[in-house]
Amino acid sequence: MTIDAANPIEQQKKQSIRRDAALEVTRLLPRPLLATLTVLLCALVLVPILYIFLASLNTDVGVASGEFWPSSFSLESYTKIWDSVGLAKAIGNSLIVSGATAIVSAIMAVGTAYVLVRFEFVGRLTVLRGLLGLQSIPGTLMLLPVFVLFSSAGTYLGVTVIGTLWGLFIAYLTFALPFSTWVMVTYLRGLPRELEEAARIDGASNLGILFRIIIPLSWPGIIVSAIFAFLLGWNDVLFASVFTRPDTHTAAVALQVFASAVEGGAIPVYSQLMAASLVCAVPVVVLYFMFQKYLVGGLTAGGVK
Amino acid sequence: MASSVTEPRPSDSSPVARAAAGPGETTPPGKRRKGLSERNRPLWLLIPGGLLMTIVILVPLAMGIWMSLIDLDQYTLRRWVSAEFIGIKNYIEAAVSSDLLRSIWLSVSFAVISTAVTVPLGVAAAVVTQNAYRGRALVRSVFLIPYVLPSFVVASVWRTMLQPDGIVNVTLNNLGMDGGLWLNGPNSYWTLVWVEIWAAWPFIYLLALSGLQAVDHEVHEASALDGALWWNKLRYVIFPYLKGPVSLAFLLATLNHINNFTLPYVLFGAPAPSDVNVLPILVYVTSFQSFRFGLSAAMAVVSLILIAIPLFIYLRAVRLDVHEGGKK
Repeated sequence: MTIDAANPIEQQKKQSIRRDAALEVTRLLPRPLLATLTVLLCALVLVPILYIFLASLNTDVGVASGEFWPSSFSLESYTKIWDSVGLAKAIGNSLIVSGATAIVSAIMAVGTAYVLVRFEFVGRLTVLRGLLGLQSIPGTLMLLPVFVLFSSAGTYLGVTVIGTLWGLFIAYLTFALPFSTWVMVTYLRGLPRELEEAARIDGASNLGILFRIIIPLSWPGIIVSAIFAFLLGWNDVLFASVFTRPDTHTAAVALQVFASAVEGGAIPVYSQLMAASLVCAVPVVVLYFMFQKYLVGGLTAGGVK
Repeated sequence: MASSVTEPRPSDSSPVARAAAGPGETTPPGKRRKGLSERNRPLWLLIPGGLLMTIVILVPLAMGIWMSLIDLDQYTLRRWVSAEFIGIKNYIEAAVSSDLLRSIWLSVSFAVISTAVTVPLGVAAAVVTQNAYRGRALVRSVFLIPYVLPSFVVASVWRTMLQPDGIVNVTLNNLGMDGGLWLNGPNSYWTLVWVEIWAAWPFIYLLALSGLQAVDHEVHEASALDGALWWNKLRYVIFPYLKGPVSLAFLLATLNHINNFTLPYVLFGAPAPSDVNVLPILVYVTSFQSFRFGLSAAMAVVSLILIAIPLFIYLRAVRLDVHEGGKK
């Protein structure tokens, strides 16, 4: 290829043609098909989302009669939801339990993952395989024994666990820990060993390496594993529906109370349900999009919702 | 460990002994690294996590299996340690006189249909966002929304939309179609499948996207040079790259569908209509509404065995470790 170096404009033009060509080369679909598919998929997602917004601004009667576009807009549902079922308290409970789960499981995951990735020992592969397998254990299988264990704690030890946030916290750790650890394992595998080796030559201990090298370098991984642990608690209905009392309800359970609440007439409080759904979804959506870059990678590594 | 023979024992690790070994003997770096880590492994770091996982996972798991073998109901629950051992009677009852077999069929068919539909959707989404264009970042974020929303929110919203006089039926009426009941009766099964598909396709999209990113630029160039038509290129050049990640996604998604409790529970409530009485709901209702804990534990164990098959395949296929080279 001969490029006329004396003519910079010509050169630029050629480069831009080449860039376009490069784009053209990686193109997978003809333009019309690509546009159609994109629009269809976006509509599939966005139409229900738009509906939630509109319904939350509608009246209960309007939603019940199947209006898409509200005949009258009002923010009333957003003010009502706080009194009708104690949503604020429930969201507070969810934040406490999920936040605690996130912090504890992320801290434990770093240490465990560090040993699993960097040191050889008998049974290491079994542990790794177990971490992955444990994530797929059905929650319904664990629910009953955990319930019995917790109620035995009441019978034999005199400690009330069921109905408290502690019980929920321990149950969520059950599921969060294998997952967080696995996320950290995949993250630490990607870190170069050279820094650790240099530190070791300089006389750093294992713990020194963990605290001065591994942890500062793996913040993205730690954040991802913490967020997934948080979401696990936030999204759970199964355990929360059995292990909570009205005053320890989580947001997920409180939303179910809305669904069965009937106000005044015979019409369920649909509009409030939609408003409350949005409120429950907001923390999650904000977390995701703040850390989207890291989360997508961590997700494909862990592979579990 | 076999390699420990070559490790310097404490007695001869003195500088003199080292020097005597001479500079001619250099251990390969790999060996040395391993030796170093073997001498001083902070295995105690595994204790907190390991202990907690044992207490909260392995113990309940063992208890769950034990409970499936004893006669446990609301009267014996408080004294579960001394409940009567009845062997496999719970399993027999589950197989003969409960909805278990039907629920297994419902769960498996629901999971497979959902996955079978989400795979083409997810792959299509990955393919359309592969090339950069203005606004692609926005489209990618939109595609993530169903995934990001908590399941209980998704289910609440769809339940509202699918009420007999809700938005879906009104729209269908306007189009001249009769909607009917979605949350009860035979249609409820398809409601469950549809909502699961709506919520789950972005998962396949994400895994397919990671597969597409593994396609080298040279591959695109080569197929462009050959003048491959877009369909042939997709079919013969790009899809083979996706085979690995997508089959992994297929397994994982099926497992997740079978285990999904939230969606049917919030959509239909418990006890669910018989057409959507999937395994997790059946187990839940049997223990916490009928209080037949032993029977329910037996059903839960059966569902564990059911998912063990795809889980086993998945565990064989996934890359566990850096050292396991071509196992991916």
